[in-house]
Amino acid sequence: MNVALALQGVSKIYPGGVRAVEDVDLDLFAGEIHALCGENGAGKSTLAQIAAGKLAPSSGTVTGAERVGLVHQHFELVDRLRVWENVVLGREPRRGLRVDVAAARERVRSLATAYGLDVDPDAIVETLPVGIAQRVEILRELARDPRVLVLDEPTAVLAPVEIDTLFATLRALAARGTAILVITHKLGEVVAHAERVTVMRAGRVVLRSLVRDTSAGEIARAMVGGALPTIAEREPTPTVAAFAARGVAAGEGAHALRDATFDVRGGEIVGIAGVEGNGQVALADAIAGIVPYTGTMSLRERPLDGLDAADRIAAGLRTIPQDRQREALVLDWSITDNVALGDQARAPMRRGIAVDRGAARTLATQIVERFDVRTPSIRARVGALSGGNQQKVVVGRALAHAPAFVVAFQPTRGIDVGAAALVQSRLIEARNAGAAVLLVSFELDEVLALSDRILVLYRGAVAGSFERDDFDRARIGALMAGA
Amino acid sequence: MTARARAYGGPALGAIVLLAIAAGAMALAGANPIDGFAALVHGALGGTDQICETLVQTTALLFPSLAVAFAFRAGLFNIGAEGQLVMGGLCAGLVGAALAVPGWIAIPAILIAGAFGGAAWGGIAGALRARFGGNEVIATLMLNIIAGLLANYLVVGPLHAPDATGAETSELPASSWLPLLIPDTRLSIALVLGIALAAFLAFVFRSTVFGYELRAAGDAPEVARRAGINLPRTAFVAMTLSGAIAGFGGATIVAGVLHRFDVELSPGYGFIAIAVALVGGLDPLWIVLASFVFGILQSGSLSMQAFAHVPKDVVTFVEGLAILALATRRFVAPRTAAS
Repeated sequence: MNVALALQGVSKIYPGGVRAVEDVDLDLFAGEIHALCGENGAGKSTLAQIAAGKLAPSSGTVTGAERVGLVHQHFELVDRLRVWENVVLGREPRRGLRVDVAAARERVRSLATAYGLDVDPDAIVETLPVGIAQRVEILRELARDPRVLVLDEPTAVLAPVEIDTLFATLRALAARGTAILVITHKLGEVVAHAERVTVMRAGRVVLRSLVRDTSAGEIARAMVGGALPTIAEREPTPTVAAFAARGVAAGEGAHALRDATFDVRGGEIVGIAGVEGNGQVALADAIAGIVPYTGTMSLRERPLDGLDAADRIAAGLRTIPQDRQREALVLDWSITDNVALGDQARAPMRRGIAVDRGAARTLATQIVERFDVRTPSIRARVGALSGGNQQKVVVGRALAHAPAFVVAFQPTRGIDVGAAALVQSRLIEARNAGAAVLLVSFELDEVLALSDRILVLYRGAVAGSFERDDFDRARIGALMAGA
Repeated sequence: MTARARAYGGPALGAIVLLAIAAGAMALAGANPIDGFAALVHGALGGTDQICETLVQTTALLFPSLAVAFAFRAGLFNIGAEGQLVMGGLCAGLVGAALAVPGWIAIPAILIAGAFGGAAWGGIAGALRARFGGNEVIATLMLNIIAGLLANYLVVGPLHAPDATGAETSELPASSWLPLLIPDTRLSIALVLGIALAAFLAFVFRSTVFGYELRAAGDAPEVARRAGINLPRTAFVAMTLSGAIAGFGGATIVAGVLHRFDVELSPGYGFIAIAVALVGGLDPLWIVLASFVFGILQSGSLSMQAFAHVPKDVVTFVEGLAILALATRRFVAPRTAAS
């Protein structure tokens, strides 16, 4: 078989001595989907950067990097430009001094047709759902006719249907002779779609196999370097009335929330299942008090309507926002400074007119210990932590002060098996301790695993409700798709 | 290069390059750079009188610089310190000229009037931002022009003082003048007030809930909003207080140096303040030092012009280059590094 890209003895040592990648060999074959797995900080993204020629290795050789396309986990698109503009950016067809718009649009259209990546060339990127924006990112790379396509956590934000579509696309690309490297932590995807798997841990390759010769269990054990993490037990917990929403509507357009009526009782986790873009963001933002809404909400029989975000926090609401880097953490601040956020206005984080640094340090230390946050110190910049460790800080902060109601939006998005299990366990423990938890996730497996009750959100309204004893994956999936 | 060498070597190299460019500019202006620098240093630090005058300039720069830094920490680019300083000075001058009461009442009243004048002027931009999402850069820029023209109109027109010879108010009664630190100079206790304010602001930023919320709003507005921080209110309060600080500075020039309001009380302190605040890294205590450095340039440039025949615009030119370099470092470099 044809080797499209070969890495030999590749190491990368960052300034400051961090050995991100050590002595890695990796061959990518034309026509194959190759999965690269590993925990946070195992060196996957660094390796992807090296493979794509965006980062020079400290030692070792890379052969074939000039024809590699890289699809980033956080898309690198110009949000305000149109799809075709993004795809041809930097290689615009010209007519004299001007961009040949007709030729550019035609090139994008024919490329989209050829690869079955359905997307409107004239759409503005910021108006597109995540799944479609990802297609644009893939198209942009395909426009350069790569021999190798590297995708960094491509399914992290996709709904099940979108994931299937993505892999169908990748399969078609492979059939045309492209070598595909998918970085992922979802083992189901590896087993279902890849031919070959490489597992990294702490910068080194610890498993290299054909997928048919191994199993999800073996891959998972290789990733974590031992037994699989287990999730906390849901204990029988008496439930009490906590949060109630009646006819809540918020937002405008296709992603609006039209009509949400439900309760979340203390001592239970209610999961919102649904494909992204069916009103989840509007629901979470309305509860958080940062967007206007109609209808009524109450928490422990206290009306929340008319209360701003600060009042709701004071009433016992805590949120785990969807985007930890943009919505939850001040990346330039230390862990200590970040854990006081949201609680700065009241004890124990406040003493008189001052932020109580001692209390913040104590809380930061507790979170670092209880959530196993890998950091040199609580004084470390949060921006320097890996995604999983950042998320542990966010979840730790949200659960710190015995909250009455927790809204967790995609709490394990883009983090590895170990970190995800830990976050899920802490949510279950909060439930066991009597907190009401609303879990919003685009990963149906997660909703099924954690929830006492599932509500399906479709086009901004509750399309179905299932008690844990009646969970029916097929029926829930059908409701998610609008059946 | 190690991190430490980068942290200290960069600014040091920058300073050397700036000095070299200044020397080149002096040579282009037909002067001997060595004579130019010597005149500048002598004019700024050559004796007690010179040092006191440098400290007067330091004080005049310190207040608007703290004002700029205060707004900046909250994520607001207040380039209207000049206008706020003028409005503060105007209010201080009008109140001071009208009050015939003992100094211990008059002086606080004058300073507070100045703070209110500046607060009102900054508050307009803050309210526009809070209520309508108006860009504070454009608002404060325009308000600078309005402040200058309004002050001019008032002191020449409706509020014209019988004893005024130009666009100015009456002179303040001597009992309302700020006490001097050193007799027979222009150096008043305003310097002490400025340093105390810097220390107080450092405390506010580092330790208080208010300062914490302000920094959060400035560093990550979306995060702050979700943490229950009211961004519009924060913007209004920050711009108002920023204006108050600049206006207080204007009042100290009126009560401490000129002893009356004059529309030309500031040769652009509010603009130089942007550079001072950036050079000081937006840290109030470093801004005290940065104000002193710019104070040297400010007071030394006149003697450089007089004795070495170097146009004082060379200093303005070098200050402009420093702003450009710092602004590049602050606003462009992070983006390049992130990509």
